Amino acid sequence: MASPGGEGSRRNGPNESLRSFTERKKHEHSNPEGISALYEELFGDEDNERPCYLPDSGEEDNRVAEQDGTISREEKGGGDWKVERELRKEEGTSAEEAGPKMSNELGAGDLREDSGRGHEGEILQLRDQELSTRNGGSAESSSTEQSVVLDGELSSDRGLDGPVSPTSSQGGTSGYMAGSGSSSASTSSISGTEAANDQESEGTGNRKEERGAWVPGKRHLQEDDTHPSWRRHKKHFFILSNAGKPIYSRYGDEHKLAGFSATLQAIMSFVENSGDTVRLVRAGDHQIVFLVRGPVYLVCISSTDEPFQLLRDQLELLHGQLLLILTRAVEKCFLKNSKFDMRPLLGGTDVVFSSLIHAFSWDPATFLKAYACLPLPYGARQAACGALQDMTDTGVLFSVLMCGNKVISLVGSRKASLHPHDLLLLSNFISSSESFRTSESFSPVCLPRYDSTAFMHAYVQYLTKDTCLILLTTDPNDFFHLKECRAQIEIVLRESDVLREVENSIERGGLRIEDMPESEGSPSESGSTRGDRASDDATSTSAPEAVPGTGGPAGLWHFIYRSTYLDQFISSEFSPPLNTRSAQKRLYRAYQKLHASMHNTEGGGPHKMQYRRDEFHVLLSWRTSDFELYAAFDPLAEKSSAIFVCNRICQWIRDMEAEVFLLGAAPFNW
Amino acid sequence: MGCAASSPASRQGRLGVHQDAGETYDSKNLRTKLVLLGDSGVGKSCIVLRFVRGQFDPSSKVTVGASFLSQTIALQDSTTVKFEIWDTAGQERYASLAPLYYRGAAAAVVVYDITSPDSFQKAQFWVKELQKHGSPGIIMALVGNKADLHESREVASEDAQAYAETNGMFFIETSAKTADNVNQLFEEIAKRLPRGQPTQKP
Repeated sequence: MASPGGEGSRRNGPNESLRSFTERKKHEHSNPEGISALYEELFGDEDNERPCYLPDSGEEDNRVAEQDGTISREEKGGGDWKVERELRKEEGTSAEEAGPKMSNELGAGDLREDSGRGHEGEILQLRDQELSTRNGGSAESSSTEQSVVLDGELSSDRGLDGPVSPTSSQGGTSGYMAGSGSSSASTSSISGTEAANDQESEGTGNRKEERGAWVPGKRHLQEDDTHPSWRRHKKHFFILSNAGKPIYSRYGDEHKLAGFSATLQAIMSFVENSGDTVRLVRAGDHQIVFLVRGPVYLVCISSTDEPFQLLRDQLELLHGQLLLILTRAVEKCFLKNSKFDMRPLLGGTDVVFSSLIHAFSWDPATFLKAYACLPLPYGARQAACGALQDMTDTGVLFSVLMCGNKVISLVGSRKASLHPHDLLLLSNFISSSESFRTSESFSPVCLPRYDSTAFMHAYVQYLTKDTCLILLTTDPNDFFHLKECRAQIEIVLRESDVLREVENSIERGGLRIEDMPESEGSPSESGSTRGDRASDDATSTSAPEAVPGTGGPAGLWHFIYRSTYLDQFISSEFSPPLNTRSAQKRLYRAYQKLHASMHNTEGGGPHKMQYRRDEFHVLLSWRTSDFELYAAFDPLAEKSSAIFVCNRICQWIRDMEAEVFLLGAAPFNW
Repeated sequence: MGCAASSPASRQGRLGVHQDAGETYDSKNLRTKLVLLGDSGVGKSCIVLRFVRGQFDPSSKVTVGASFLSQTIALQDSTTVKFEIWDTAGQERYASLAPLYYRGAAAAVVVYDITSPDSFQKAQFWVKELQKHGSPGIIMALVGNKADLHESREVASEDAQAYAETNGMFFIETSAKTADNVNQLFEEIAKRLPRGQPTQKP
C-alpha cells in the first residue's frame, strides 16, 4: 500500500534492510540523475508519469524521495489516502458491529474483520509497507503511479489499486492510458509493456476470461514485443541470462525477444552496478517483479494485481522448474562463458514451463505449499502405501503414485523427505511431458529442494490412463531394478483393487459442498440464508441449509482446507454458481490474496482469522496450529452463519481425514 | 501398458541386457540391447513405435530422458530376437547421458531426417562417438527417416550411403509414417547379430 503519510513510520523493518538502506541511499545520491533518466526513458517521460527510485525504509521515504527530486505530489497523495482510509474505517466499524460475538465461538483470538465493496474491502493492506509514491499532476493522473522497490523488505502489492484514490477505483485504467499513450510514442520497446494496459484487456479483462479448456504448449509464438497483442497479455514471464540472452518467454518467440531481454537485463544490471538489486517496479497497473538466481534472471510482468510476494514465489517456482530440468550445474557454463546460450539445453520444455505458469492461476498447491490427495477409502490407500513401502526398502529413494496432480500415495526412504514444491514441480514436469504416457521412461530429474546440484533418475510409467507411478533413485544404472519394482507394485495394486478404487474416485469427483452433512443441531429455518435471522440463533443451533443452485449451507460456495502437519490440502469442487471460469479464477485470486495477507508478517500479521466481504464473495479464513481454512460464501451471506458453517466444514474434514489425506506420510522437511 | 510384457526378475539387471526369469536365451532365441540416437525431431520415437506397436502418431511428443520398449521378431531361420530398445531423447541436454544408454548395446541405430542436413551432421557426431566409446563390434545402422518427404529432401541418399560404407555401417531410408523399411531395418540388424552364444548367461 502506498503509505506516504505517517503509516510507514510504524513499520520496523528487519535490521538487514535498515542497514542496507544507508548504502542504497549513498548510491542514489551518487547518481540520481542517471537513475531517474533511465526510468524515465523506459517507463514514460511525461510529467504525470515520472517514476521515482525508492528505498524500502518506511521512516525515510518522504525525505529520500524528495532528495531524488522526482517526487511531486506527495502531499496530495497523502490527502487522498487519508480520506480513503477514513472511508474504510467506517465500513470496518459497521462490519464489526454485525458480528463481534462470533470470535468467541471460534475460539480464535485475533479476529480481524474487513468489510466493504469491491476492491475497497482490504483494510488489512493499510499496513503494508510498500513505499510507492504518487506523482499525479492532476486529479486524473493520480492513478498513474510508479514505484521501484529495491532489495530488502517488501511490501504487499495492494498499493495501487482501487482504494488509493476514489477517482481511480477502476484500477486507474483511464489515467494510465493517457500516460502510456503519450510515452509509447517516444520510447521504445519497454513502454510497450505498459501499453499492454489498455482498456480492452484491463477494463473488461476480469469479466471476459471465458475461454475453452487450457491447451498445453506455447501460444502466440509468432508474437514479439512489437505486437500490440503481445503487450496485452496480462501476465508475462521471462527467464534470461545475466548477459541478457533470452532463455524462456511465456509468450512469443525468444529469439525475437532478444532486444526486450537485453532491456530487462539493462535495468537489472544498472541497479546491480550500484550494489543493489531491483525487486519490483510498479508502472500503473503493472508490477514488474525481478528475481536473481545466480546467473539467471527471472522477470514477471503482471497486471493481474496479485500480491508481490506471490509473484516472487511464482518466479522461485519457475526457477525450480528450470533446475529440475538442468540442475544447478548449468550455472558453471556461465562461469566459463558469460554469453552462454541456455536455450538449446531447454529444447522441448516450453510446455513444462507453460503448464507450470498455467498452474499458478489454477492450482492452490502453488501458493499453499502443500499437495492434494485423491480421496480414497482408507484401506485402499493403505494398500497402495504398503506396496510402495516394500519397494522403498529395496533402495528406491522416493515412490510416488499420482493421479493427475493428486497424490494417491507417497513413500520416501527413511532419511529422505520430499518438499511440496519438489513434488509440484516433478508432477508438473511429468504430466506436461506427453512422452511419459507413451511408454515406460527413465529420465534424469533434479529435485531442487532436495539437492539442486545433482540429477536423480526417475522411472515413470502410467499404470492406467491417469495413474502414474514415479520411482526415484540416485543410481543411474538402476532402471531394471525399478522396472521390476514397478511390476511388483502393479501386481499388488491390481490384486488389492486399488486401481479400481482410483477409477471410482475419479468418477465420483472431489468433495462437493452440497454433500456436506447436516450438523447435529437441526436447522430451524432451512431455506432462508440471510438477513432475517437474529445472529444469536445462528450461532447457537443452526445454519441455514443449502438452496439448490446457490451453493451449500449459509451460501457456502467453496472452501480450501490445508492441514498444517501433513502439508496437504483439500479443496471442494466448483459448484454452481461458480460455474464460469471467470468466477472460478476470480475466487482463486481472492484466495491468493487472502492467503498472502494471512501470512504477511508485516502489517500486523500473521493473522488468525479474517472476514472479508466484497462485491463477489464473502471470504472467511481461519488459521490455527492444526489447519488453515479458506471459505467463500455468497456475498450476502451472514457472518454468523458463515462462521458456523466453517466449524462444520472443519468437523466434516476431520471426520473424513483418513480418506482425503495421506496420513502417516513422512513429514516434509523445511 | 507401455512396454511389452516383462516378468519380474531378480535384481541383477543393469541398463544392459537383463535377465528375465522364466525366459531362456540361446543361439536360437537372441536378446539384444539396441539404442537409437540422433538429433531431436528426426523421428526416433516414431520409428520405434511403428516397429513395436505398428502405430504412427503425427503429433510430435518430445521424448524426455529415454523410453524403454521391447519387441520380439522371428527370423526365417526360426531364430527369435528380442529387442530391448532404448529410445533416447535427442535434446542437447541429454547428450551427456547417452553413454548410459549405449553402453553395452549390441546395436545402435543412428537416425537423421532426410530433409535436414543439420540432423545428418548430428548423426555423424553420434557415429564418431559410438566408434570411440561404444561396445566393440557394435552393429551400427544409419537411418534416413521421413523418406515420404522426398520432395523436400536435402540429404542425398548417395552421400549417406557413401558415409555409411566408409564407417562400416549399413544404410537404409525409412518412413515411420508409411511404415516403409521400418521392419526391414530391424530384421537386417537381427540378421547381423552374432550367433552361437547366448547374449548373457543366467
